[in-house]
Amino acid sequence: MRKFNTKLITTVSAITLSAFFAAGCVGNDATPESKWKTGSDIGGGVTYIMDGDKTGPYYVNSDAHKMSISNGRVPTAAELKAWNVDLQPRGIGSPNGQGIPVGSGSVEEGEELYDAKCLSCHGDFGAGYGTYPALGNGNAYELNKTLTNNRYLDPEADGPTRVFGSYWPQLTTMFWYIRDAMPHPKSKTLTTDEVYALTAYMLYINEIEVNGELVEEEFVLSNENFLDVRMPNEDGFEPNIAGANSLPGVRAYFNNPANYGAQKVKYEERCMTDCQDESAKVVKIQNGGIQSFTPPLSVVRDLPKVKKAGIDVLEVYKNNCSSCHDGMLSVGSDDWANYTTKGIDKVYENAISGTDAGMPAMGGVSMSKENFKTLVDYLITGKIK
Amino acid sequence: MDKNKSNIDLEISDRRNFFKKTVAISVTALAGTSLLASQNATFGDGEPEILNHAKWGQVWGDPVSKNLYGVPSPYEHNVIRRNTKLLASGNFRASIAVTPLHESEGIITPNGLFFSRSHGGTCFVDPNEFRLMIHGLVDKPLVLTLEELKRYPRVTRTHFIECPANGGQEWRAPQFNSLQFSKGFMSSAEWTGVYIKDLIKDLGLDLSKAQWMLAEGSDNSEMGRTVPIDKVLDDAMLVWGQNGEALRPEQGYPVRLLLPGWEGNLCVKWLKRLEFSQEPWYAKEETSKYTNLKPSGKAIQHFYANEVNSTVVTPSPEKPWTHLKDGDMVEIEGLAWSGMGTITGVDLSFDGGKNYVKAKLKGLVLPKSWTRWSYMHKYKKGDVLLLTSRATDDAGFIQPTIDEETLVMGVEAVYHRNAVETWEVTADGKVNHVQIRTDHRETKGVNNA
Ligand code: HEC
Ligand code: HEC
Repeated sequence: MRKFNTKLITTVSAITLSAFFAAGCVGNDATPESKWKTGSDIGGGVTYIMDGDKTGPYYVNSDAHKMSISNGRVPTAAELKAWNVDLQPRGIGSPNGQGIPVGSGSVEEGEELYDAKCLSCHGDFGAGYGTYPALGNGNAYELNKTLTNNRYLDPEADGPTRVFGSYWPQLTTMFWYIRDAMPHPKSKTLTTDEVYALTAYMLYINEIEVNGELVEEEFVLSNENFLDVRMPNEDGFEPNIAGANSLPGVRAYFNNPANYGAQKVKYEERCMTDCQDESAKVVKIQNGGIQSFTPPLSVVRDLPKVKKAGIDVLEVYKNNCSSCHDGMLSVGSDDWANYTTKGIDKVYENAISGTDAGMPAMGGVSMSKENFKTLVDYLITGKIK
Repeated sequence: MDKNKSNIDLEISDRRNFFKKTVAISVTALAGTSLLASQNATFGDGEPEILNHAKWGQVWGDPVSKNLYGVPSPYEHNVIRRNTKLLASGNFRASIAVTPLHESEGIITPNGLFFSRSHGGTCFVDPNEFRLMIHGLVDKPLVLTLEELKRYPRVTRTHFIECPANGGQEWRAPQFNSLQFSKGFMSSAEWTGVYIKDLIKDLGLDLSKAQWMLAEGSDNSEMGRTVPIDKVLDDAMLVWGQNGEALRPEQGYPVRLLLPGWEGNLCVKWLKRLEFSQEPWYAKEETSKYTNLKPSGKAIQHFYANEVNSTVVTPSPEKPWTHLKDGDMVEIEGLAWSGMGTITGVDLSFDGGKNYVKAKLKGLVLPKSWTRWSYMHKYKKGDVLLLTSRATDDAGFIQPTIDEETLVMGVEAVYHRNAVETWEVTADGKVNHVQIRTDHRETKGVNNA
């Protein structure tokens, strides 16, 4: 087993250097940087390798980088278990996945959880809501075909649909992400079985087939059948990153600018006259473009307006509540009647501590409870006190 | 009669006499210059800003005990990050606030103006509860406190950080008449921290297997990304210092990953864990997002370095030339940057990229850093200009034209757009964002391979 130590760093860079010198290192004319020692970076560029006491223009204390320093301690088994909870579709030398926890959940359970904890942002059947992302948009296999829709020829044509079913290469991503990041205002509150159920529901709304069969309401996802799920777009990405020796391929990919629309040129041979194709025309911003900037653009130098005491209800609503409440329980709407029957104090209380149905605690703002109540009053009645 | 009033009158008339005298002397001294004559026509005796005492010069200023952490002049209150609903995934906690590049100076962004991007909101890590865990394909896994981390030998570097979606809203057409929004998904700072290679030197990393490192954040979205080992052993750093002070919360306080030149999203903030593995991870931000769909239907994953890029900073849509007079000598200034290497030159075009002249580089020219460039221009009132800048780097790259880039990448890639961009200067000195490109509805016959 090769062990990493300072000596090996030198060897590794040396190998890297000699192997990629021809492809990667391009000389440049009389610029100050040409004095610096460069190597070839895996991402297609150059790296500034250590040259005595310098890397590029920077001096370093090379002694400091040779010394053995051992701070800290070894984590306990329980600590490792608590934090090492990521999921991977493949383990070392094995297609069996890594970190897929024991548990299970059905589409039906997932649907119930979804309606209670996710729908308020992600819409019915994950169709998306406002600018909240869609989690599905119909049959994944059909949508996968839209990935070649490119509005290159016609800016008005239909574009590609990139949602979980049509685009994501691996199911591990979904489980891992829901468990760690959702529901957005209250992340890491779902049990393992709940995450299985929600992941199963994601397969269902995207009409994914597992072992040749369409995922239906009765489908149960568990650690047993997790790796049977193959996403339609599993092979939709380049360069290849899978396998025990994938880095050389990644390096080769980014060392070929043609793969990603980049241009290389000898500095002194770059085009200086008559460089633009005749067909290229001036394209202006249409219909004023995007102008909804907050705050509006201004380069004026004056004194800021003195803010009134209390809160600017309309401003706070716009920045903190509108993303959800413009669409449901909107300002002054009749739907509030269903909430106020339990008494206004209970409404305040729920809004302040947040609810499982998607109301974040205080809507995510920090202000005094008194000011917050003024805001809630406005939301319910449409009137500012 | 009011004694005080007469005193004041006296004082004023005294001052008037005094100023008349001074003006007369200067006029004599400089007589014959038409410049002064024209100024006298506009200002009469002179500008009140000069003729009167300044209002701030006759009262006490603030005591030194005020603002123990300094804040900008209140007059600078419009120099701020801005956001737009259209760049939010639902709410402003999965969103971005962008840097006012049109007000930027030099190659450092003040910490309060550094662009702010998160996937679950800016979190506030208690530095006392901060722990970093390093594990996976190492003999000796490690837990460090912040204090222990900071005991490793420090490295200080100046690098920009750029969100690869910088300019990504404008693949199909220009949309933002604003430098802040069309290029402000980036900022630059002097970072201080430790090389990861120093940190893991004695942990027994198994190089025969380890190809990838997971970097994971502790924020609400537990943001994580996969990094190839080559970068980890090259210049990857864990940083806690930003422009001479602790990282701002928006930048990942207390510790973030810094991969010089690479996608901002890879520079994981609020860091908690590094794991080494043979097989990669497939985090949400390296599958669902931060992948570049090409016309073939395949998407580039693991697109690391931000490519060579540049922009004209002065003038800009925000800071036009409407106040210039015919014949004024003015500096066209801009920024160039490359995550692939060091800027070697910048060329400037006045006709939208048909013909270029060489601009001058200014100040420090550092690897994977913002670089300032400059060109002196005699402004001709009524001229319509198409200002296009084009940078090159020492990895051999040059910015492509929009047609060259979209020929390979199509227009659905979202990320890593670095084609040259153009400001139109109108006859009255206004500045508009335009693009110079072929409308393929007219020309067809495109290679969509
Ligand atoms: C308060 C609103 C909110 C709620 C409630 C919520 N989410 Fe989300 N969700 C978001 C936001 C915002 C994002 C985008 C995050 C980003 O851009 O990084 C997101 C992203 C996602 C994504 C990734 C989508 C993609 O294609 O990249 C999934 C999957 C998801 N949510 C699942 C869920 C599930 C399951 C639940 C219920 C347990 C849930 N969400 C509840 C706001 C919410
Ligand atoms: C992320 C989406 C979201 C945001 C942002 C949000 N709300 Fe809500 N809010 C909800 C949802 C969903 C409900 C319904 C919850 C339920 O039925 O339990 C709700 C319910 C409420 C209720 C009724 C609580 C009850 O159970 O009686 C009040 C009051 C309220 N919101 C006020 C606000 C205010 C004020 C803001 C802004 C400061 C805000 N909300 C921001 C999603 C949101």
